[in-house]
Amino acid sequence: MRELYTMRFTALRLIRAWVVLLLLFVVPFVLVTLLSIIMGDAEEGGLLLRNEINVMMVLAFQLFGGSVAMNYIHQDFFTERRYRIQSLPMNTTLYGFTTMLIGTLYSIILGALLAGYTVLVWNVDWGNIAWSIFIIALMATLSSIVCLIFTFSVKKFNIAERLSEVYGVGAILIAGLIFPMPDHAVINWVNEYINPIMLAYEAIDAYRNANVGDAWMNAGLLGGLIVITFVIMLLLGRRRMP
Amino acid sequence: MTIFTFALKRIFKDKTNLIFLTLFPVAAIFLPEPEYWPLLPYGYHYFGVLILFVGIRLTGLLVEDRQKGVVKRLAAAPVTHFQYLFQNLLAFSVIVIAQCIFMIAGGVIYDHELHEPLLLLILFIVFSFTAIALSLAWNSLYRNKETSFLVFMCVIIIMALLGGIMMPIEMLPDVLEQLAVIFPTYWLAEGMEWVVMGEDTADFLLINGVLLLYTLLFLIIGSIRRMG
Amino acid sequence: MTIAAMQGIVKRYGNELALDYVDLSIHEGEIIGLLGPNGAGKTTLIHTLLGMIPFDKGSIQLFGRTEKVFSHENKQKMGLVTQELTVFEDLTAKENLEFFAGVYGLKGEERKKRVEEALAFVGLSSNAGKTPAKFSGGMKRRLNIACALTHHPKFLIMDEPTVGIDPQSRNHILETVEKLREQGTTILYTTHYMEEVQTIASRVVIVDQGQIITEGTVNELIANIQHEEKINIDVSTPGDVPVERLKGLEGVKNVHVDGSTVQIISTVGSGNLDRVLSLVKETSGVVGIQAEKPDLEDVFLTLTGKQLRDGEEE
Repeated sequence: MRELYTMRFTALRLIRAWVVLLLLFVVPFVLVTLLSIIMGDAEEGGLLLRNEINVMMVLAFQLFGGSVAMNYIHQDFFTERRYRIQSLPMNTTLYGFTTMLIGTLYSIILGALLAGYTVLVWNVDWGNIAWSIFIIALMATLSSIVCLIFTFSVKKFNIAERLSEVYGVGAILIAGLIFPMPDHAVINWVNEYINPIMLAYEAIDAYRNANVGDAWMNAGLLGGLIVITFVIMLLLGRRRMP
Repeated sequence: MTIFTFALKRIFKDKTNLIFLTLFPVAAIFLPEPEYWPLLPYGYHYFGVLILFVGIRLTGLLVEDRQKGVVKRLAAAPVTHFQYLFQNLLAFSVIVIAQCIFMIAGGVIYDHELHEPLLLLILFIVFSFTAIALSLAWNSLYRNKETSFLVFMCVIIIMALLGGIMMPIEMLPDVLEQLAVIFPTYWLAEGMEWVVMGEDTADFLLINGVLLLYTLLFLIIGSIRRMG
Repeated sequence: MTIAAMQGIVKRYGNELALDYVDLSIHEGEIIGLLGPNGAGKTTLIHTLLGMIPFDKGSIQLFGRTEKVFSHENKQKMGLVTQELTVFEDLTAKENLEFFAGVYGLKGEERKKRVEEALAFVGLSSNAGKTPAKFSGGMKRRLNIACALTHHPKFLIMDEPTVGIDPQSRNHILETVEKLREQGTTILYTTHYMEEVQTIASRVVIVDQGQIITEGTVNELIANIQHEEKINIDVSTPGDVPVERLKGLEGVKNVHVDGSTVQIISTVGSGNLDRVLSLVKETSGVVGIQAEKPDLEDVFLTLTGKQLRDGEEE
């Protein structure tokens, strides 16, 4: 499988992209550390604030994990490099998928490392860590797909990049993490059924509170979003990919 | 004033700049007023963060000039480096001043409780100068506009957190609270608190004085590097 | 044996005709110099030949196949050197080559050997561990070429491989092409520098506005347009040049005196250089002599009425 062979090189390129590491790992690492220090053992309604904020923080950065897949797909298929890639005797669509897979895996690994750090150093309660990593994986996958939809649907790549930021910042904003959102039916509905960060948080929180049914429901909603966006991505990709 | 005019032209040609300069401030005006904290409406409280983003975007023009060798070409033209910097910075200043006036006027018309709109305007303008100077200095460290922007974004987040914009400074542990004074955002937060609470006039002067001092310091750092 | 053939290829971009009924055959062992000004359609022609962009009319044949022309099997036998630098900036030179070698199916020791060989071939062995970001323009160009060589393609397509580099690097690249020819590689080489084509091409194809306007060896093309010979003679006393006597010689069409230079234009094959020279020597004292030969630039000028470099961006 020549396409699988390329994965090693995509990974190498990724490891060397220090800005990505800075944005997706170092910044959340610093924030988690600072917030843990600041929060100390403060409680609200009998719940440790540290638990809530740290989980949210790690999940929030997963919203931006798709930028990796997006950038690499753009470079390999939408710049002059596409002609070289197209001239190679391999299945370019499959190559695209392996690139996306590596980008998503990288985001999951960084998320898992951050989660592990919060558990070991700050004693954050994630409920079931394996379940949490599964949820992180769902978020990373969704982010990659959404970012690729943006890449395929606009002509100018920097607009796609801005849209991906709107996706991430928008989700955080609507979740009320920067300031409280008004109690409006539409916003509540979005947070309950669509906003990935809220779905992911609820899935983890429900599992933490031994509410497995709710946990699966939220994970199922995330999965549903992945399926729907994946189909859209495929349709758009077939049209735009060389 | 050719450089000045063209700086304005180039800034307004960029669509993302237009969003930063028009859509975001308008949205900020309409954000709600909080119950306990922060003291100002959300849009005004977080306006400093927007100013920092605007600052790095505007001064990004100079990194681009360095990247493309325009600075070298200008060095050969009968224009001093001081003129080049001065006219660019003047263009940036005109833009941010206009944005601050727009923001405050919008708030007054929308009937937000801004306590002392004029003093808040002065504070925002002074902070905008600090933001431009800071991003000028920051950009002088980089060869690539995108990298500079991305790393600065991280710095903005940290500055907002530790400077008392994201949460009240009193919530920080003692060490961090003492450390916070090194961030311009701390002085902005202090200034906003002063505008609401309104105590000693000398304090307000001190706050703006510190911000201006920072501006001067960053301007010096930022203007040392010429060609790269 | 025919390696590649295009028959009646038409490619439109909206209303614009990018390729206008193009017929082209490339035979084993040839170096085809595809010459044309910027925007003539050279890159479109190449991309069409490789199946990267769809075409509106016509047919393409590669390695004797007319069906599944752009199969992996055929791609395996070809190599493309793109006009732009399309190497991975974040991988070292060696890793770049390993990537492409692996994608072309080379494995283990063989891959290692071919990568080393390609590095040596383009003179980058001592820089194998560096990323292209640290390379000069010429070195990047050479790496760009090497990436298409590890799998020893039978048919190599080089799209303006020397754009924007210094003369030394250009010579290095031209030598590389010569070496590849000696190894039996068939090469399609596009450029808008006629000197390059004159040096390396066994056959020249001239393109303009999406059409092939002529093809043949350099000598054939020149012979086709050559209807006259020009002789320039520098003299010490121009006032004494026997213009009328020169004009009276058989085959001489015209005589100009420009400063201290006398230009004599005569019909092809008139063979009167000797007679002209002895006449001028008698009266005006010959200082220097040049017989001007037309080149591909003149061929292009004659056929299209414009210069090859028209519209050149650099």
